[in-house]
Amino acid sequence: MCIVFRLLYFACLFFIPWGLKGAEIPPTPSFEEHISEIFTRKCIVCHGSDSPQGGLSLTTSAEVLRGGKTGPAVVVGSAERSLLVAKVVSGAMPPINDKLTASEIAIVRAWIDGGALSRDGLPVLTEKDAIPIFQMRCVNCHGKRRREGDLDLRTLASALKGGKSGPAIVRGNPGESLVLHRIKSGEMPPPEMLFENQVRPPSNEEVEVLQRWIAEGAQDDNPQQQPQLTKVSKDDQSFWAFKAPIRTKPPPVKHSGRVHNPIDQFLLAALEKKGLTYSPRADSQTLVRRAYLDLIGMPPTPEEMEAFMEEPTEEAYGHLIDRLLGSRHYGERWAQVWLDLAGYADSEGIIDEDRVRPHAWRYRDYVIRALNSDRTYDQFLTEQLAGDELIPAGKRDQVTSEMIDILAATGFLRMAPDGTYSLPNGSLAERMTVIADEIEVLGSSVLGLTVGCARCHDHKYDPISQHDYYRFSAILQAAFDPYDWIKPTERHLEVATEQDRHEISEFNAPIQIAVQELERELEENRKPYRKQLFEKRLAKLPQNIQGDLRDLISTPKEKRNGVQQYLAESFHEFIDISDEELTTAFPEFKTKYDEIKQSLEDKKKKLRPTPRIRALYDMGGEPSPTYLLVRGEAQSIGHRVYPGVPEVLTAGLKPYGQLHPGKTGETSGNRLALARWLTQPNHPLTSRVMVNRLWMNHFGHGLVSTPANFGRTGTPPSHPQLLDWLATEFVRTGWSIKAMHRLMMTSEAYQQSSQPDEMTVKGDPGNILFSRMPLQRMSAEVLHDSILRVVGRLDDTSFGEPVPVEKHSNGEILPKASEQGRRRAIYVLKRRRTPLTLLDVFDLPRLSPNCTERTVSNVAPQALQLLNSEKLIEDARFLAARLIDEYPHEPEKQLRSLYQRVLSRTPTEKEAKSFEKDLSLLALNWRSYLEEKRFDAPRNATAQWYALGSLAHTLLNSAEFIYID
Amino acid sequence: MQRPGQPYFSSRRDFFHRIVDGLQGAALASLLGADLYGSDLVQPGRHDSRIYDLSPKKPHFEPKAKAVVQLFMNGGPSQIDMFDPKPALQKYAGTIPARDLLTDILFSKEVGGVMPSSFRFAKYGNSGMDFSELVPHMAECADDIAMIRSMHTNHINHEPAIFTMQGGRIASDRPALGAWVVYGLGSENQNLPAYVVLDDPKGLPVNGIQNWQSAYLPPVYQGTRFRSEGPPVVNINPHSELPKQVLEAQRNLLRWLDDRHRGKRPNEPNLNARISGYELAARMQTAATDALDLSSESEATKEMYGMNDPVSRSFGTRCLMARRLVERGVRFVQIYIEDQIWDNHFQIDKELRYCCGKTDKPSAALVKDLKRTGLLDETLVIWGGEFGRLPIAQTIGDPATAGRDHSPSGFCLWMAGGGVRGGTVHGATDEIGHKAVEDRVSVHDFHATILHLLGMHDRDLTFSRHGLDERLTDQFPARVVSEILS
Repeated sequence: MCIVFRLLYFACLFFIPWGLKGAEIPPTPSFEEHISEIFTRKCIVCHGSDSPQGGLSLTTSAEVLRGGKTGPAVVVGSAERSLLVAKVVSGAMPPINDKLTASEIAIVRAWIDGGALSRDGLPVLTEKDAIPIFQMRCVNCHGKRRREGDLDLRTLASALKGGKSGPAIVRGNPGESLVLHRIKSGEMPPPEMLFENQVRPPSNEEVEVLQRWIAEGAQDDNPQQQPQLTKVSKDDQSFWAFKAPIRTKPPPVKHSGRVHNPIDQFLLAALEKKGLTYSPRADSQTLVRRAYLDLIGMPPTPEEMEAFMEEPTEEAYGHLIDRLLGSRHYGERWAQVWLDLAGYADSEGIIDEDRVRPHAWRYRDYVIRALNSDRTYDQFLTEQLAGDELIPAGKRDQVTSEMIDILAATGFLRMAPDGTYSLPNGSLAERMTVIADEIEVLGSSVLGLTVGCARCHDHKYDPISQHDYYRFSAILQAAFDPYDWIKPTERHLEVATEQDRHEISEFNAPIQIAVQELERELEENRKPYRKQLFEKRLAKLPQNIQGDLRDLISTPKEKRNGVQQYLAESFHEFIDISDEELTTAFPEFKTKYDEIKQSLEDKKKKLRPTPRIRALYDMGGEPSPTYLLVRGEAQSIGHRVYPGVPEVLTAGLKPYGQLHPGKTGETSGNRLALARWLTQPNHPLTSRVMVNRLWMNHFGHGLVSTPANFGRTGTPPSHPQLLDWLATEFVRTGWSIKAMHRLMMTSEAYQQSSQPDEMTVKGDPGNILFSRMPLQRMSAEVLHDSILRVVGRLDDTSFGEPVPVEKHSNGEILPKASEQGRRRAIYVLKRRRTPLTLLDVFDLPRLSPNCTERTVSNVAPQALQLLNSEKLIEDARFLAARLIDEYPHEPEKQLRSLYQRVLSRTPTEKEAKSFEKDLSLLALNWRSYLEEKRFDAPRNATAQWYALGSLAHTLLNSAEFIYID
Repeated sequence: MQRPGQPYFSSRRDFFHRIVDGLQGAALASLLGADLYGSDLVQPGRHDSRIYDLSPKKPHFEPKAKAVVQLFMNGGPSQIDMFDPKPALQKYAGTIPARDLLTDILFSKEVGGVMPSSFRFAKYGNSGMDFSELVPHMAECADDIAMIRSMHTNHINHEPAIFTMQGGRIASDRPALGAWVVYGLGSENQNLPAYVVLDDPKGLPVNGIQNWQSAYLPPVYQGTRFRSEGPPVVNINPHSELPKQVLEAQRNLLRWLDDRHRGKRPNEPNLNARISGYELAARMQTAATDALDLSSESEATKEMYGMNDPVSRSFGTRCLMARRLVERGVRFVQIYIEDQIWDNHFQIDKELRYCCGKTDKPSAALVKDLKRTGLLDETLVIWGGEFGRLPIAQTIGDPATAGRDHSPSGFCLWMAGGGVRGGTVHGATDEIGHKAVEDRVSVHDFHATILHLLGMHDRDLTFSRHGLDERLTDQFPARVVSEILS
């Protein structure tokens, strides 16, 4: 059969030139001008519009498209797949002798292949023209979870199936298609619900599109017509970042005495090529301060420094690194690096209200815990991308603390600004922005690729197509379905272990009893007034109804008979009496009412809610189909796409599909497959991107200086072999992040001085070769925390709900203090609109949607902040008071201790002398000032204290404190 | 910055710029010049180094305007009642509008009939520009104003439309126009922030501080809020309790410490910048306080800005402050107005009188005063909101309380000074003032035009991020509205 068909097919091709003598095939045949005439002569006898054979009428183009009992007669754009063509080519049709000539067949073919145009040249409409209209105007109510009238308008198939009232669409018959009828009559979308749903009624043009699409047979999309996807070339795949890292042997070097580990061999080899070598070692004090600030984000205490300085050996340094990595403060410092990437914030942003996200902190705590326990990076990623899918199906009811942990991890992709809470669902475009932001987060932090560029068009520089982008987006669709949206304020999981639940209910039980008691009391109070008001209203009604209504209200709702139910409905205005009406009518009731209401509120506030997790989770069921969006616009649908990863990254890796755990019924498994795909040992990007990021944070800049862009427009690695060696070492040591810190920090490179000589600066001006350690300014959080630790006002409690912020009278935004002092910055409420002033002026990033690399500015408001903030002056005095308590009447010791605390070193003799002079000068100034003000306080003591406070304040302002050598 | 053949003080702006530097920071000026603010001016958007600062940059071409004052009328002023007379509305008064208008409505339950303006229009100036009786003072500036009547934008709601007006897209993460401008051009006065925001003491506008954010541009380019009451910046003034001598001693000590620290690290320009930052901070205390101190302004000037009328006092104060800031070399000043006063969904006639009472006189005064001081030629004044209002009523029954709903499809904005041809009316809306139909101007066109007046090509003012050259006008087509240029 097939062979016969082919033969015929070739025969036709062959015959075309003959048959076409004198009758050229028009370039764009239209139905009315070219096709209608052929059909009228050859087919219409049987396939006319009156009771056509096989239900197929060939009189108008719409009817041809609609097809007959055996389905559509033509597939727009593909003559090959069109039944009609097969029939006429095989000669099965027409069944009479007068077959179509080769030239006629050629014209019909050309018409179909050209898009089955009608005379006005309009292309036939297909599913992708119509579905967006439903998506924008209808699926809010006729979608996946919300399915009014049991109707789902997300796909052609579901629209054909229809709902309670029958099929929404009847192919080829606009008149009988309910959906069109309801729209045209103005019934749908219901006018009263437009605002609530942020939906507008379809425009006239849209109604016309639907009308025509249905008339033309509600064509589906022809997969053959999908645009030719640009293939990823060998050349594309050979780009360094898209090939697996290759481990090479560390090269031999001349300055072998300065080699501590292979890192040094790679770096020294490059330096030696330029006739350079490392800068000298930093002195021990500098190194210890550097290590503390780097690993735990706070300087050492004088005691800690002293302990190290007793025996400042190589070995002791190694132990120090281990001890710091074991500190719980390590996670608090390094979590910030990851939280920047995730775009962590405690508020939704976008809308003015900037609503607080009350449960986001569990994700922050997860990151801190995971880092402290050295969660391996592959596991760390898997939990964050697919924590919910790691929980075995059927195990979800037995909640364990580990389960809560990995569910909290999925907060990673829930941190982008999300304004869709402002209205019932936000607009479609806003929802898609949220998803796009999360893809951006994922791409820039984990993949190190600018995937987001491919949202509106194929990537201009990297081989990432728009098709790739939307496949990536499809992975998330089971959790983030733009057509089945859950507001951020409601998108959370209520999860608690059995024990937690028990504790909560024990705690709540007495409160709930009190609440019920109060409610009963309120009802008792209400009763007489309600009766009074009811009687007053009844008086207006006829006698007989009065009695009926009295009976009615004394009958409980469930016991009412049919007549009473009817009465209740008709007279609801008489029967239903609100508290507002009562309080307005009876002022004496209002007093009592307000009082009870207040205690009720107070009691209810004390109730402990079930813990909630701001998670990303599979919503179950079949997600809406994902389409490529032309120009990234919600209303321009392209072809349908299925979950997948960028094609350029498939070489040498197990394909995404093979890693798919399969659909469990509870989850799609799509994100778990992504995590598994990303964490393959030979993935070209995952390990490289992460080691580069760690490197960047230790050494000031990355081996790849564009940490979020490893693509063609990024900067190529300065030390490609080192990068690859580190990447493979990372995988070899089981993706241990702490092992990487240790490796980098025990290298000789890390222990260099930050004060290079002239030759080094000349030979390596940008420090590209790492010929020294950079001088770095403390980041905003490190500065904040260091001040607190130095002055002794750090409340070092870990974890939990964020610390609220408050506005000081001078406008400065400060964290609320506890009795022990103030918490580390990472625990302070991170509301987008009210950043802590100190952090804000020291370059706290605006998250848009995340921050992959912080910038450092050097502006006057920083000086103003440190010089004039009342809080800092208060802190400095607090430190001064402690020093005075510690060493009363021993100013030299006070000064020495002050120096050690703030600058982590003892002052030189010259400095000590100069400081003593400054102290007495300041004390003198303070004394005369205080005398002038006639303070009664013991003046000398106060002046001395204030003077020491001023000194401390000055040191906290100094470059030596704020910069890290 | 001095060009050959020019008098030493080429303008009033220049005078202030130099005086402030000269009196207080001679040593510093050389320090700044030597270390950071190199004399080789960098082209806007062509940064190679990672040091981002506010030193003056050379524009792409000779600019018309050197500074901008944007009077941001958040809420959406009703163009039909102020600038765009539509006599045809009388003809259709009360009739049901067309379907395409009905799908362009936010409060679809409160749709009323076509509603003509209650305000009388007349022609003003030599150009005969139309203004309604609501804005008699602006009308006096007719020959300095270029009115765009064919603006259109992309969203019907405030937040997204304001984001578009500020950053070019419905997105909360884009740098504001002002941030782009100072990123491109730096500032003429290093004693004051380059981009100053004068928001209403009564409260932040919709979108809050995101209105002047630098987003992915370095934070140094974000707008600095100057409060118009009390000290202009948080922590700008020394702690009230600190005696002068103590401050002095502290400063000397700090300088001593930092000099020693820097001495050992000769290759760190950032340490120099930091030291100058501290000196700048000291000067900013004076400069900012001085700039916002209106006591030296004459009674006549205050009267002109409406500062003697409680309704217009607040806005007038900020307009006058804006003049003082631009004359001191501040590049971009933005004035906001409390909440959303132009959002007249209800009782529009009454509310408009209030809004115009508050803003008309001060806005006009700013144009006149800049003209008087010779600064108008190089200062661009922009007046407008995020969208306009519909020609139909928004009502729940009582016509006396009717308002107008949002209209993103067609609205007015005006500019004056800084290279704009006064007396020009550009573009037109349809017969009833709903949609812009003639010479339509998009927000991107509007942005490109502002950058053009400042001597920059919108396509070339770029910031490299994630491998993309980002720009204010993004990938959108953007055309300089050359018809309104002088």
